[in-house]
Order: sequence, then structure tokens, then C-alpha cells
Amino acid sequence: MMWRDVGVTLILSLILPVVAQGARHTPPGKPKLTSCRSPDKETFTCWWEAGSDGGRPTTYSLFYHKENSETVYECPDYHTAGANSCFFNKNETSIWVNYNITVVATNALGNNFSDPVDVDVVYIVQPHTPENVTVGVLEDEDGPFLRVSWEPPRKADTRSGWITLIYELRVKLEEAEEWEEHRAGQQKMFNIFSLHSGGVYMVQVRCKPDHGFWSEWSTASYVKVPDYIPRERSMWILIAVFSAFIFLILTWIITLNRSSVKHCLLPPVPGPKIKGFDQQLLKKGKPEEDLLVEYLEVYVNEKQELMPEGKDLRDVGCLKSKSQSDNDSGRGSCDSHTLLMEKCGGVESKDESSYEEPELLQGQAGSWERLERGDSQVVDTPDSSDARVKTWPLVFSPSIHGSSDNHHYGTLEMPKQHSTSEITYSVPDHLFPTSTSFPHHHHPEYRDSLGEYSEYRHSRSPSTGVLYHWEAQHHPQAHSNFNIRNLERQKEATGLGLPPSRSMEYVEVQKVNQENQLVLKPLSSHGRGPSQVQFGRAVVDYSKVNGVNNDNVLLLQRQREMAEAGQYCDYREKEGAEAERYPTQQQGKTTKDGPVATQLQESTCLTTSGYVDTVPTMPTF
Amino acid sequence: MARRSQGTKLHLAVLCLVVSCHAIGLSDLMERASQRSDQLPHSLVHADSHFPPMGRVMMPRPSMCHTSSLQTPKDKEQALRVSENELISLARSLLLAWNDPLLLLSSEAPTLPHPSNGDISSKIRELQDYSKSLGDGLDILVNKMGPSSQYISSIPFKGGDLGNDKTSRLINFHFLMSCFRRDSHKIDSFLKVLRCRATKMRPETC
Repeated sequence: MMWRDVGVTLILSLILPVVAQGARHTPPGKPKLTSCRSPDKETFTCWWEAGSDGGRPTTYSLFYHKENSETVYECPDYHTAGANSCFFNKNETSIWVNYNITVVATNALGNNFSDPVDVDVVYIVQPHTPENVTVGVLEDEDGPFLRVSWEPPRKADTRSGWITLIYELRVKLEEAEEWEEHRAGQQKMFNIFSLHSGGVYMVQVRCKPDHGFWSEWSTASYVKVPDYIPRERSMWILIAVFSAFIFLILTWIITLNRSSVKHCLLPPVPGPKIKGFDQQLLKKGKPEEDLLVEYLEVYVNEKQELMPEGKDLRDVGCLKSKSQSDNDSGRGSCDSHTLLMEKCGGVESKDESSYEEPELLQGQAGSWERLERGDSQVVDTPDSSDARVKTWPLVFSPSIHGSSDNHHYGTLEMPKQHSTSEITYSVPDHLFPTSTSFPHHHHPEYRDSLGEYSEYRHSRSPSTGVLYHWEAQHHPQAHSNFNIRNLERQKEATGLGLPPSRSMEYVEVQKVNQENQLVLKPLSSHGRGPSQVQFGRAVVDYSKVNGVNNDNVLLLQRQREMAEAGQYCDYREKEGAEAERYPTQQQGKTTKDGPVATQLQESTCLTTSGYVDTVPTMPTF
Repeated sequence: MARRSQGTKLHLAVLCLVVSCHAIGLSDLMERASQRSDQLPHSLVHADSHFPPMGRVMMPRPSMCHTSSLQTPKDKEQALRVSENELISLARSLLLAWNDPLLLLSSEAPTLPHPSNGDISSKIRELQDYSKSLGDGLDILVNKMGPSSQYISSIPFKGGDLGNDKTSRLINFHFLMSCFRRDSHKIDSFLKVLRCRATKMRPETC
């Protein structure tokens, strides 16, 4: 039993599939036309896909009929185009005719028709790919370029115009991802420019009829572009190098001519220059180099202060100086020639050689004495031009006015010696007792004083100039020296308050100390002895000084009231004695002594009277 | 265009007294004509795309196109055997045959029960323009080609209207459009064959 059951089961299991297979046979499934294509508008092919075959070998057949007839034709060629295809050759192909195509699947059990499809060949044209695609690298003045050429597919008859094809190509670098497509129209050649040097390009071409489908892309053609420098880039490189070169050259030129360029671009703005009087400068009171006035202040009173130079100058307004710089230096007007001429009453610088009449201006504090530069020529110093000679106001002590004033002082100003020799100075009046009528007798006194000092002056040389060179002493010490001496002298002579002019006091210049201070000492106190002796030894003979001629010669006047008569001709001796009196001060006598002496001698002998007062005393006429 | 045709006519008549210079003027004209004719099918394809594919039962057969009475070459050999005069005549006849149907279509298009009847309407107008310009160009062309080329077959259009109901109107509209599409293809092909045959100097362009 068991065995039979197993056997039946086995048999059934073997038979049933066979039976089942037989039972699965069905008519074939419905085929389906997939596409029909014509490559040349002359033939066409249709493809279908089979449905299920129904378990039996199925045959497929294609039937068609044209639009105008009902005659059904079967596919003439099932093999040319491959499996499940039908190829219609030229004879069977009509254009502008609708084909109604149906595929029938047939097997032993039945058949199955596909859905019919209407096909007009004109609408299904899809050519083959273009043939003979060639790519070449050609050279141009701008660089290499690709020339792609091809031919239409063999089957497409473009020569007769039956088919009009338009082409399209695409190109890319081998390693690139995106294609670059170009429409080429109906031409069969195309140029591609702007290549990457040294790159490998891929080119493909396809075509399409005027109304139809695109063909497949042709197989890729490879081409290698040779290495080259793009002309555009090389041009830019050249331009950049050239520009840099030009720029460097320009920079170098500008650097060389930096100043002139700056002058050209930024012309200097002329600053304002004020000609003439510079108030500020004068107010400042700072002595400029050439304006430096060296002066020696002589105080009568210790309380007195040094009056600013500028003020003096301004008050006096009578300065005579040579300006050493250009006209628009902005220096004080007092320095200018013209002003001097105005203010000083026509005393001009040209009168250098002569002792002009010192013009006295009555200042606030006293009379002034004016200095002239007379020495420049006498001394024959080299550079008179740059020697600044200034006249300085002298403020005289109350000896003149007879009133005590705090501001009485005398200033002896000396020009600073730039050059060698110029020193002029005015002898302060109170150095020598004078009377109030000093102005009138200024001459003789002055002459006397001059006579006394003329030696110094005349004997001036650079070395002596130094000797007599009194620098501007602003600090009180120097003045105090003087002051003290003056005071002493004053005290000795007159006592305070008394006009020292009344007393006959003499101050002799002892020496010039190292600070270029003129050390004066009253003759009465110190060295007066010898002088006195000398003085006393000699009979006091006086000669009035009449004037000074142009040669700086004292012209003495004879006077009849000579106390000692018959001593006229001794004047020479006196003179000589006088000359001897100050041996220390006489250094480097000039020839001036001689003529003076001789002159005097002459005058003395000629006249009956006349005296030379060696001490500038104010004659009390 | 008429002005130009007369002017060119005179000009060419003067120039082409001795030498047959049809090819010079013809080739340019043919080029233009073929370009114009090329535009027709494209427009028709766009217009036709709006219509869903109809079942073949409902669709009238293309042989029912009113221009099917005109005998035209059916394949390439036949087409290449046709003379130039015949070719130009056929092209002009076909073009002329569609003037009236285009008028009908343009009048029916705005009221067409179709969602994109506006586009269709504009397309129809475009087709009319193309057809007009091509017809004028061909007129100039036949003046150059000689009197034997000026024969035109007249193809009457009998279709009064597209129908009464919505469906028949759509079907008839679509049918007319398809007939015109094929005929525009024919015109284009004939002219291009004519062009290649006429330009003997530049065979490589064909």
C-alpha cells in the first residue's frame, strides 16, 4: 500500500508537469511594434517586441497595407534587420504614404495581433552617423586650431537633395566632463579655436535630416594639441614687461630729478618780505650779528640800568651804520642809509674818513654824542665795508644837565668788530669833566678827547683794535667796573650831585683788561702822579683846538692868553711829553702823531698864543 | 514682394540675355524658398502635437485629403525623374490648394474645443504667413524659369465646415492639420530637389 501510494505520487509528480505544460500553451501574447526607422527616406525598418510566446514556438509576421488600398502585404524581409524586425526595401517603400502596419504572433494555439501603427516614412527618417570623421591640428597666426571634417552617411543621398542633412559636433578635453556642442549646419567641416596647449581632445559628430531624428554620435576621435604659448597671453606678458620697464625708468628719472620735479610741481611760495623797518626785530633787542653793537656802558649811578639798545636807538634815531646784508633784510630802518640820512641830518656814511661833526641830539636823558666812523680809512683796515659802525647815543650823566636822574648814564658803544678794525667810540662826556656847554664846545673837547684817544685810534691795528675793542657789556659787572670808577672819580672830583663837569678830572685809560674792558682810572686818584708830574712839570700851556682838518689833523688855535709866554715853541716838547705820558697806551703809533705834533709845532710857533688842552675840558667861556 | 519681383525680373532679364544665369538668381531664390518651406512642417508638427493621437477608427484616412487627387511622386526615383517645371508646378499647386483650408482653420481655431486653442490659433496664423511668403517667392521663381513652369493645378477645397459637434470638429480640424503637414513636407522636398538640381555650379552644397 505504502509503496503504491508512493509510486502513484511519483508518477503523478512526473506526469503532472508535462500535462501542466501542455495545459499552459496559449496563443501568443500580443506583440508590439516598437519603432520604425528609415535611414535614407528610401527604405525603412520596423522592430517589434514579442509578447509571451504562450509556451509554444511562436512566429511573428508583419502585415501592412497602404492607405489607399486594402491590399495587405506581408513584410518582405524579416532577416536583414535582425530578429523581430521587418525591412522594407526601396521597391516597397513609398513616401508620403501612410503604412498601416500590424504584427501578428502566431503559435500552435493561436495568434495575436498587435496594435496597428500608421507610419509615414517621411516622418521617421533617422540617418546613420556621419562617416569618415577626421580631426587635424592646423596652425594659424593666433595659434593652433582643430579642423574637424566628415562625410554624410553613405546611405543618405544628399547629392540629389533628396535628403538635406544638418550636422552637429561636440568636443571636449579628454579629462573634462562637459561636452561643448556646436551646430555646423549643412557644412561638412568645422574649426575649433582657443585650445589648451598640450591637451587631448575628443570630437564627435552627428547629423539630422531637416525633418527627422538625430543620428547617433560618431565614434570619438582623439587629437592632441601641441604645446604652444597662447599668443594673447604672450602679448600680455610682453606688454606687462614693457610697462614695468618704462615705469622703472620713469621712477629712476624722477628720483634723480627729485628736487626739480618738486620745484615744478610744488613751486615754492614766496614768503612775504617786508622792506624797511622791522619793528619786531628792534623790539626784540637781540643783536644780530652785524647789528651787534658793542658798547660799554658807563654808569654814573649804580641804580641805573642799562637802557635797551633798541630804545636808545629809537630815541636817537640817529644811527649810522653800514648794512651788511641785502636791502630787504628787515632790519631796522635805522640801519639803512636813507634813514640815516634823514635822521642824522645828512650825515652820511661817505664821511668816513673825516671826523665829522658829531651831531648831538638831545635825547631824553641827555645829549648824545655821535660817533662817526672815522677810523676805517685811517687805519686802513681792509674791510671797511663790513665793519659796522654805528653811532650810539650817549646818554650823559647828570653832569651835563646838572640834575640827578636815575637814568643818567653814559654809554659807550662800540661796534662789534667783525672784521678787523672798526672801532669808533665816543668818549663819554663824563669821563672828562665837561661843562654844560658841551655842545658848543664839543668840538674842541671832542677834539681834545679825540686827541687823547686819537692815538689809540690811529694806532689801531687789528691787534690794537682788539685792545680797544670793547665788547658789548650787558651784564652789570662790566658796567659796575666802570661805574665804580666813575663813581670814584665823581666822588673824588665833585661828590655826588655836583656836576663832574666842574671838576677837572681826568681819567686815564690804564689798560684794557682781558674782558676787553677799558679800565679807566681817574688821573687824580692813581696814575695821576706821573701825569701830574708830567703835567706839572710842564708848564701848562694850552692850545685851543680849532678844528680838525680832513687829515685828522688837529688845528690848534693860538691864544693870546697864554699864561706862559714864550713857550709856544715848547709845545712840541709838551706834545712830546704828552705823548710820553701815556706810553703804555701808545702802541703802534701811527703817523698821525707826527703830523699832529708838527702841526702843532707849526701853529705854536707861528702864533703867539694857543694851547692844546690835553684834557678835554670844557672851556668856560 | 511684388515690387521686388518686378524689379528683379527686369534686372535679371537685362543681365541674362545671353547667358543662362538662371542658376545665379535661382539658387538664391531656391534657397530662400526651401528655407521658407522648411518652416511649414515644423509649425505643423507643433500644432499637431496638441492633439492627442486619435484612434484610427475615428480618424479619416489621409487619402481623404482634398489634395490627394494631385499626382505627386511617391518615392525618390520618381521624384528625381520629375522635371523642374513639374516640380515647381506641383509645389505651387499644393501651396495654392491650402490657402482656403488655412482660412477655414484660422476661423475655426479660436472656437475649437481644445484647451490650447490659443496656441493653435497662433500657429495657424503663422502658417498662413509662411505660406504667403513662400507663394510669393515661388511666383518670382517661375518668372525666371520660363512660361512652361507656370502651370498650376487647381485643387478645389470643398470642406465647408468642420462639423457640428465638438468631437467631429476636433477630428476634422486635426485631420486637416495632418493633411497640411504632409503637403508641406512635399513642397519642401520638391523645392530642395529643385534647388540641388538648379545649382549646377555648387554641387557640393547639396
